[in-house]
Amino acid sequence: MTPRCTRREWLGVTAGPLALVGCAKKPVVVTPSTVTIVRAPAYDQSLYGTVRDILQAHRVDVRGRSVVLKPNLVEFEPGSSINTNPLLVHAAYEAFREMGAARVRIAEGPGHRRNTLDLADAAGYFKIVPGFEDNFIDLNVDEATRVFPKQQLSRLEKLYLPNTVLGADLLVSMAKMKTHHWTGATLSMKNLFGVVPSGIYGWPKNVLHWAGIHECIADLHAALPGRFAIVDGVVGMEGNGPIQGVAKSVGVLVAGSDPIAVDATCCRIMHIDPFRVNYLRLAAGGDARLEEGNVKQAGESIAAVATPFHLIPESRGFRLEKS
Amino acid sequence: MSLDRIAQNQNPDGGWPYRHGASWTEPTAYAVLAFLAAGDATRAQRGIGWLKRMRRSDGGWPACAGVDESGWTTALVALVPPERLGWEEHRGAIRWLLGTTGEESNWVYRLREYLSGNAPPRDQSAPGWPWVPRAAAWVGPTSLALLALDREQARSGAPTKEIDERLNEGRRFLMNRMCRTGGWNHGSVNALGYPADAYPETTGMALAALRGAPPNQMEKPLGVALRFLASCRCADALNWLRLGLRAHQNLPAGYVAPAEIQFRTVPEMAVDALISAGGQGRSPFWVA
Repeated sequence: MTPRCTRREWLGVTAGPLALVGCAKKPVVVTPSTVTIVRAPAYDQSLYGTVRDILQAHRVDVRGRSVVLKPNLVEFEPGSSINTNPLLVHAAYEAFREMGAARVRIAEGPGHRRNTLDLADAAGYFKIVPGFEDNFIDLNVDEATRVFPKQQLSRLEKLYLPNTVLGADLLVSMAKMKTHHWTGATLSMKNLFGVVPSGIYGWPKNVLHWAGIHECIADLHAALPGRFAIVDGVVGMEGNGPIQGVAKSVGVLVAGSDPIAVDATCCRIMHIDPFRVNYLRLAAGGDARLEEGNVKQAGESIAAVATPFHLIPESRGFRLEKS
Repeated sequence: MSLDRIAQNQNPDGGWPYRHGASWTEPTAYAVLAFLAAGDATRAQRGIGWLKRMRRSDGGWPACAGVDESGWTTALVALVPPERLGWEEHRGAIRWLLGTTGEESNWVYRLREYLSGNAPPRDQSAPGWPWVPRAAAWVGPTSLALLALDREQARSGAPTKEIDERLNEGRRFLMNRMCRTGGWNHGSVNALGYPADAYPETTGMALAALRGAPPNQMEKPLGVALRFLASCRCADALNWLRLGLRAHQNLPAGYVAPAEIQFRTVPEMAVDALISAGGQGRSPFWVA
């Protein structure tokens, strides 16, 4: 790969000579991460094969290991596109079991509602996932351990995190592809807010907002290695997400073991500029890992599935101007 | 029935978990209140013992063992009668509540906002309570703190100015945070200028904390609460809606909870038991 300045670094040059010096001194070499985009037109039985194929293609080795699936559960609106679809989560559950995982659990800690099981029930999880209650952990009231983030970009000096998540060999973030009025997009990394226990921090998890939303997402990303991301883009949410938006059919699943690359790819599919999503840049430590050329796309191309998500006027600054 | 299930869930250390596992302050405080209301002082006393061991040096309570900071559950412990909890512990809890406000009420924050040219929004004009220190005030913890201080004021028989001030400010906080449609969510009237919707749980909590408010101010939220009650799908919401409506003598006579609602957690079961122990217009959360 030829070291080069990015467009942004180039623009920075006009602001002062220091940027030029930095750019010239440190060409960033990035090992491309693979991100798979697969068409999934509907929530139906074909999802089971699709998810299995994705995991096998990524050679995810979970034999004898414990896996925690972390969907995004937000509100009691089963007909809306607000929650990760339970059929997708069950497809992942079955796939990991078939691949030899010692234990697969589903875990979530919603930020607004205290009744996690009721929320899961309303979202269809009890109906779709056999024995759901026995395999589900409410992360809001799971036993927690104090951790000191490896990387501290936010003002959080410490954080209590659930033992179920800390003890998992593989944490699978199963986010919904949604716009977010504060951060631009909520995807596999923002979904990590759900692991922060509301039993300690409250509903909503406001301490994360006061410490810096973007910075906290980046800190959580650093604190929880060993992840895989599967983003539910079968039907996403556009407009005033992540709660008051409207359904947006995209018909894709986006997956990979590098959440930064997965989320950057999702942004491009949504016509959101990943360079303008601050938490991605913070977590990536700059722009290089977000460059499209530094992500190895498998399956469909971004161009083949991309569809602009409607953005409310206040969020239009996140719009990708050209892909 | 609920009390039997709660009793089965008590941990060997005397505390209660939410469903299973380690003891937490919230389920323990509610279970203690439920057993005290039922006259089972022995079982309550073991829970009180756990609470006393969890007390922190600043007078407050953490959410659970291992958390090195006092927080919102202090208000629940303050509801335990002082003759049971211990007078020193009780006074400490009240002091902690009186000394705690949301970060947006902090003068340093306000000065910074002022110097930045930002006028304080109307909904930040009165201080409420946060879930944890160094975060903003919200409807849930503010409602619980108001219930605790209101009960303290009534119990003591000698109202203090300091408590009166916080009660008035807290009630103003709740009124400022009422959604446009009536009712309350966690505390955001707007998100980026877009009106936000009310939730059943928080609407019930705020109504319970606003017991005694002028009826003309409560008309709209009571209407919202009654609509929520008719379509209620979860126990926590059902509990708080019943408490909130009762606080304003608006719970429909002969109301029976839908059979399909499941009381899954210790707090849900305990608050249900507490509601059953009280009648119309009465609640263990306030002195009639």
